[in-house]
Amino acid sequence: MIFKLKDTFEEIFTVKKETYEGFISVFRDNNPLHTSQSFACDKGFKGIVMHGNILNGFLSFFIGERLPTKDVIIHSQEIQFKNAVYLNDELRFNAEIIGVYESVNVVEFKYGFKNKDTKIVAIGKIQIGLLT
Amino acid sequence: MTRNEILSQINEIFIDTLDSENILVDVTTRAIDVDEWDSLTHILLVVAIEKHFKISFKSNEIQNWKDVGEMMNCIQEKGI
Repeated sequence: MIFKLKDTFEEIFTVKKETYEGFISVFRDNNPLHTSQSFACDKGFKGIVMHGNILNGFLSFFIGERLPTKDVIIHSQEIQFKNAVYLNDELRFNAEIIGVYESVNVVEFKYGFKNKDTKIVAIGKIQIGLLT
Repeated sequence: MTRNEILSQINEIFIDTLDSENILVDVTTRAIDVDEWDSLTHILLVVAIEKHFKISFKSNEIQNWKDVGEMMNCIQEKGI
């Protein structure tokens, strides 16, 4: 097993304009919270709020591209959004292995995203399977 | 833990993991008897059982399970 309990991973992600615009273009979520400055500010945010599910794209990248093997598949993932993410925010991603189940080739991570103010913007867990 | 207690806890794990309130397993229950028990959910069940009982299985152990009774035997062999 190449994964060990308590192994940690780090990554920096930036919510770029092309990611935000690409997300809207593909999924057509034009809710004013994500597209109207005045609407978002009226609701107490400091600007247009990025779609939370952009972070799921970052998680997909982490699992698919940054682990020491490409033989992986996501079984399940959960995410809790704690604070808003804004355009061009730089997010520090941390993940730690919290479970290794060799009998079924499963690895479980907990993860978090923090913004530059070190505020947690999202946390969650991902369970992956190792393809044999 | 008695065998009945283990079975009861396994049943709860099946209900939670397979997201089906109607599941009632016994020692003779096989994967073919439970609609939601497929190859992927089997993996999830094994992980849930390992977590719940704080035990680890070996791959050759779980491959030998033919029914819930053999799953329980394996759990008991680990001192539960």
